[in-house]
Amino acid sequence: MRNVAKRVVFFLMLIGVWELVYLCGIWPEYVLPSPVSVGKTLVGGFQNRTLLIGIGISMKRIAIGYGISIGIGIFLGIVIARFRILEDTLGALISGLQTLPTICWLPLALLWFGLNDRAIIFLVIMGAVLSIAIATDSGVKNVPSLYIRAAKTMGAKGWRLYLEVIIPAALPHIIIGMKQGWSFAWRSLMAGELLIVCLGLGHLMMIGRELNDMSQVIAVMIVIIIIGIVVDRLFFVKVEKRIRERWGLTKS
Amino acid sequence: MLEGVESGIPATADNEKIYGGVATAERPGGTQPKLCIRHVSKSFKSVNGSAYVLEDINLEIREGEFVCIVGPSGCGKTTLLNIVAGLEKADSGEVWSNGHKVNGAGTDRVVIFQEAALFPWLNVVKNVEFGLKLKGINAKQRRETAIQYLKMVHLSKFQKAHIHELSGGMKQRVAIARALAMNPEMLLMDEPFSALDAQTRWILHFELQNIWLKTKKTIMFVTHNIREAVCLADRIVMLSTTPGRVKKEFQIELPRPRDDNDINVAEYSTKIMKELKSEITKVMQCEMDADSCVECDIKCTSVIPEKIDMGGGI
Ligand SMILES: Nc1ncnc2c1ncn2[C@@H]1O[C@H](COP(=O)(O)OP(=O)(O)OP(=O)(O)O)[C@@H](O)[C@H]1O
Ligand SMILES: [Mg+2]
Repeated sequence: MRNVAKRVVFFLMLIGVWELVYLCGIWPEYVLPSPVSVGKTLVGGFQNRTLLIGIGISMKRIAIGYGISIGIGIFLGIVIARFRILEDTLGALISGLQTLPTICWLPLALLWFGLNDRAIIFLVIMGAVLSIAIATDSGVKNVPSLYIRAAKTMGAKGWRLYLEVIIPAALPHIIIGMKQGWSFAWRSLMAGELLIVCLGLGHLMMIGRELNDMSQVIAVMIVIIIIGIVVDRLFFVKVEKRIRERWGLTKS
Repeated sequence: MLEGVESGIPATADNEKIYGGVATAERPGGTQPKLCIRHVSKSFKSVNGSAYVLEDINLEIREGEFVCIVGPSGCGKTTLLNIVAGLEKADSGEVWSNGHKVNGAGTDRVVIFQEAALFPWLNVVKNVEFGLKLKGINAKQRRETAIQYLKMVHLSKFQKAHIHELSGGMKQRVAIARALAMNPEMLLMDEPFSALDAQTRWILHFELQNIWLKTKKTIMFVTHNIREAVCLADRIVMLSTTPGRVKKEFQIELPRPRDDNDINVAEYSTKIMKELKSEITKVMQCEMDADSCVECDIKCTSVIPEKIDMGGGI
């Protein structure tokens, strides 16, 4: 509770300073808009639904791209952990690609898919899939052998052993990779939307820039930050904590 | 006062046959043993060659018999149980379960481990259902079976609880219910109660005996606790150490359910403990001053060149 209070006070003060600087009139409105006009733009954006539509389009893209990354990432992680030969080859490739900033895939995406949704979704996938694959690989390798032995004596083998035991047992690792993958995916989605102009939140920012409407740019930035915080703090942090607690990994 | 008949016969092939004959005479119908361990040997590669952990183990367990395997730490009890479970392969020799040769893990022999090995992503009742689900039994039926066995271990109230909410003793009871729900031919238990406090263990000894009396499962139970073994077993098999061999067997014929603190159990334990002491001293010498005690060193590592066929006679 005190933390929340501290934060509220901090942000109110920040807005106060911002308003003061604005009132001094050092910079023109299109460089530094007032907090009030940013607030108005935000409210207006929700009222005329441009922001809502932008959020909807961006969320749809990330849902598709991120969903596909989870599927491919977990599959890759499992086969890498399972087959020694793939670990030495594909595993090395994935760790190498992980160092490549996602935006470097943009030229390739443009050539393959053109200036459209699919290119953006490709960027999202490239952002998330490697983190998830690496985390799954280490998760699978760290599954306590006790679980596997117990499952085997109860008749688990083949893909059911993976589905019913190994993947759930590796979940504490996988969720960390998913969290990291999410933040990469979110970043590459925004990069993609800024550069490939076709709707979404990134596009709204670019419109603001073209119209010299700084309050729209800042309003969209605030929306992007808030979505990031909501997903990271309210979803992933909670889910991760829950999983660690259930799997008996938290020290009490 | 002590009714038990000690049959301290060293397990050479001949004596074992005699012993087996006595056993079948005692229990009619037990003509074909439930479990048959024949000339099982196992060695592990170590720095100084391959050291035999188990050497020519021969053992038969009758249907419905409760057998405890005891022996000093490191003598290969867990290894033997894993071989019977099919989780590990013997170098030579074979294991027959219910007339079939053991070749990998199978649902006829369910293991209960020292740590309960319950799956934390499932709640209590779903854990118990796990093996039934793999068998392809429908949801309704497996829920019924699971609840039935949870009732047997007095935990049906906790069916919806998560694993991390259970105490150690409760976890072990769920593990027992999970194993029983599979309706296996045999239960293999590897020190299932050793991590529990004395009171909980005492309660579980009662529960296990009652379950055994009710279900008449064949049980192979590994422990290093002699009193536990006397409390539970029809027959105690003592392994010697490095390499592990069947050293002695004891028939326990006390009325059930037995109590850990019963005077007869205590007296029996003392007697068997004496036998075990010599083995333990041997282990202690090996583990504690392996560096200083040269003579013991030679005995205890028992490094055997791999070329010599120790599993002969198969
Ligand atoms: N995977 C392995 N690799 C090498 N050596 C092993 C392996 N597993 C067991 N051993 C050795 O085999 C011996 C027997 O081990 P085992 O676990 O069967 O003993 P135990 O009788 O169950 O002992 P405890 O009562 O302490 O559980 C030990 O000396 C151990 O060091
Ligand atoms: Mg052991």
